[in-house]
Amino acid sequence: MKVMYVAGLVAALAIPAGNASAQSVTDPQIAAIVVTANQVDIDAGKLAAAQSTNPEVKKFGQQMVADHTGVNKSATELVTKLKVKAEDNDTSKALKAGGEKNLTNLQSLKGAAFDKAYVDNEVAYHQQVLDAVDKTLIPSASNAELKALLVKVRPAFVAHLEHAKHIQGTLAKSK
Amino acid sequence: MTIGASRTIRAGVTVMGLLLLSCSRSAPVPPPQPQIHTVVIEGMRFEPADLTVQPGDTVVWMNKDLFAHTATADGGFDSRQIDPGGSWRLTLQTPGDLPYICALHPTMKAIVRVRTGG
Repeated sequence: MKVMYVAGLVAALAIPAGNASAQSVTDPQIAAIVVTANQVDIDAGKLAAAQSTNPEVKKFGQQMVADHTGVNKSATELVTKLKVKAEDNDTSKALKAGGEKNLTNLQSLKGAAFDKAYVDNEVAYHQQVLDAVDKTLIPSASNAELKALLVKVRPAFVAHLEHAKHIQGTLAKSK
Repeated sequence: MTIGASRTIRAGVTVMGLLLLSCSRSAPVPPPQPQIHTVVIEGMRFEPADLTVQPGDTVVWMNKDLFAHTATADGGFDSRQIDPGGSWRLTLQTPGDLPYICALHPTMKAIVRVRTGG
């Protein structure tokens, strides 16, 4: 199930990359992708904060909720100011579907299996989102403020990825 | 030599004497004025990540990021949560190196060095 989710996520975020000459998404589409991507991780983080018994995993989940809520707050304020109406698209829809699959999978797991599945997904998710931010979202953003926001939130995805990888390593050692 | 010239020379000698006198006394080195240093938190980084200060100096951490952060030195100081747009200040007295992190984002690392002299 986890593999399916990650594969779905990769496919979702790789859509524009498959057609390099037309590798662009519009600002309204970017807005929908950003909000959905953050919401997916907020939902997973809430579940981890509630369900994990590992203090490090729990704390990481809480942090994902806090940080991605912060990104969405800034993104929502900006698109409201710019009068950009978020427009659902294949990428945002696939992200949403992937997020729901991930939650269904996590809800069936407990203890160490839950922690491993959650953290593995966090590593894959942040890596893929980071790739999308670098290869598609930042290059495609036409509004300067939207582009600047993406540039500003990028380091958070890097930090989250490193943090998730660190926890992944700790969990592997504690087996 | 006119009287005027003689007076000028005498006055000059007196000034030199006073200067010598003041040089021969070991004047105490005034303690450096406490400085205020700023560390900006932005893009998941502390900038500067390596800061040297004198005892008595104050460091102000300004959070210009979109997220809450902390400046937390294990066994040293702890800002607790600094919200976006907020700041936290600390006056450092004891010489030593204080490596610190953001407790919320442990990949964020920096150091403040409290050194006398220099």
